[in-house]
Amino acid sequence: MNKIDGLIFAQMIDLGARNLAKNAEKINSLNVFPVPDGDTGTNMNLSMSSGAAETRANKAAHIGQLGKSFSKGLLMGARGNSGVILSQLFRGLSQSIESKDAITAAEFAEAIDNGVKIAYKAVMKPVEGTILTVARESAEAGLEASKNSTSIIEVMEAILTAAKISLKNTPELLPILKEVGVVDSGGQGLVCVYQGFLAALKGEEIEGLDEVKTDIVNMSFEDDHSSMDFMSPEDIVYGFCTEFTVRLDKNKKEFNEDKFREDLSKFGDSLLVIADDEYAKTHVHTETPGDVFNYGQQYGELIKIKSENMREQHREVLRKEAEREVNKEKSEYGIIAVSMGKGLSKLFESLGVGVIVEGGQTMNPSTEDMMKAITKVNAKNIYILPNNKNIQLAAKQAADLAEENVYVIESKTAPQGIASLMVFNEEASPKENFDNMQSTLSTVKTLEITYAVRDTNIQGVEIKESQYMGILDGKIICANEDIKESITQLLEKSIDEDSEIITLYLGSESDEETTTYIENLIEENYSDLEIEIEIVESNQPVYPYIMGIE
Amino acid sequence: MAIEIKNNYGTILITDDVIASVAGGAAVSCYGIVGMASKNQVKDGITDILKKENYSKGIVVNRKDNSVIIDLHIIVMYGTKISAIASNVQSTVKYQIEKTLGMEVDGINIHIQGIKVVNN
Repeated sequence: MNKIDGLIFAQMIDLGARNLAKNAEKINSLNVFPVPDGDTGTNMNLSMSSGAAETRANKAAHIGQLGKSFSKGLLMGARGNSGVILSQLFRGLSQSIESKDAITAAEFAEAIDNGVKIAYKAVMKPVEGTILTVARESAEAGLEASKNSTSIIEVMEAILTAAKISLKNTPELLPILKEVGVVDSGGQGLVCVYQGFLAALKGEEIEGLDEVKTDIVNMSFEDDHSSMDFMSPEDIVYGFCTEFTVRLDKNKKEFNEDKFREDLSKFGDSLLVIADDEYAKTHVHTETPGDVFNYGQQYGELIKIKSENMREQHREVLRKEAEREVNKEKSEYGIIAVSMGKGLSKLFESLGVGVIVEGGQTMNPSTEDMMKAITKVNAKNIYILPNNKNIQLAAKQAADLAEENVYVIESKTAPQGIASLMVFNEEASPKENFDNMQSTLSTVKTLEITYAVRDTNIQGVEIKESQYMGILDGKIICANEDIKESITQLLEKSIDEDSEIITLYLGSESDEETTTYIENLIEENYSDLEIEIEIVESNQPVYPYIMGIE
Repeated sequence: MAIEIKNNYGTILITDDVIASVAGGAAVSCYGIVGMASKNQVKDGITDILKKENYSKGIVVNRKDNSVIIDLHIIVMYGTKISAIASNVQSTVKYQIEKTLGMEVDGINIHIQGIKVVNN
């Protein structure tokens, strides 16, 4: 056979759909991913049946027409992940043959491949080891085969063979399949459809499912109880992970899988049953493993039995974890910084600060807060950046009390603290680091803008309530009604020919207009200095703007 | 803001960002989703397809006690059955959140913000 038309394609679809329907239950039992609700077979079957029904209602010898109907039917009936993928695969296929009366083997292989391409376009993160992989690898084989053969049967055979191999390989690609010991359910569904296609081309009927046989007896339910560490042993309702495999005996109670599941679900939860004609393998969490085994024995001989006390396993896990916690090793260096405002804290953390102590001008952390931070940072050599004059004392007291080697860097402002972090070097000795960090403090000028809370006269500057004050390294320089005026005067006093970089820290009370004003001011008035401006959204309270000049 | 889970050892805090990231990770692995839409798009007036790394931006997490309601703003592929994709996303996200974070999901609302048309 060298060409297929709409009539033959309709037969292929029909047999594909019927073969899928026949195996839907089997496919359901393979379903583990991504949501273990066991309906992949049902969903694919309903999607495919809808496509097949549409082709029956719109018979056409023109294969392009028929493909359109099929694609439309699939789209309307698509259900579940695999159903949608199936509909995309055949939408791509029918697009490729749209204008054709009949297609050759090469065109058929190309159409299948186009389906795969379209299907892959509709997913951001393709998960390999699923129906997509099976579709892709089989389509590649189809293209390859069509180079050497003009027989559609041979091409379809190549596609089916490759699909089966790919399906068998899915557990290697998707760990969850391997854990449970099954192949991908959606992939199995596609293989069923392709089997139907091939049988129709050969004019055969299908008997029995030619499946990739799952070795029920030796497969294991990978159920890692140690991962349940968010629970306490007392919270485990069903304490025994119980598994058995029963060899179904014709002379004993008749085996009905649905009934079997229903009965077992009464014993506990996490029920998994996988069965074929000979064996039924069961996994259940229960309080009464004996009863479960007794129940299983009604159907035949128990081949393998296992029951584990999950509470005991769990206690063991908790105990080991507690041990690990205690023995957590101290790191060589740890840095503690006092900071206010989310943005500033984040910046400190990104520069290697291990523990942030909330605090600042209006809220000075206590010595105890510092001690807690020292314990928490868990290091042999610790540096504290108080970033405020008023906090240095608490930091020094904590340093005296602590058993660890604690250095207090006398940073009075956040920009100083940040500058000192820049020179921290893990390779250097603790003392060297301290000296280096300490000496950078004087290289940074800190400018702060804040508002007065009452009328006063400090350091020779008249200040009225709610005026904006400009502060340079702790000294009040100016006070004005207008924040821009204060900033202008403050910058005038601060910038000199050594100034290279200005870092502007935007407080929670900063506004865009003023920020732009500052940028323009620096660029225009000090253009000869070629100053670089960096802006950090640090969200500190009280100070709308803090600037560091280096 | 965060969800609190208390046990004998202390408190576990799960922030909204974490919930959004888990939800986003689960959502983008669903077939049919080609992108997350910025939830600010009403303000911006454009539906940006967000890059993979910030897909949690298209997600709004609303908390009530220890359960959450999640709104996902997604962009889907043209020519797919959108209702089927949306319900897939709902069940996958619900399952992942409940499994990995151990919290209840009260509702998952899907907003289809755009459709991507690809010429082939």
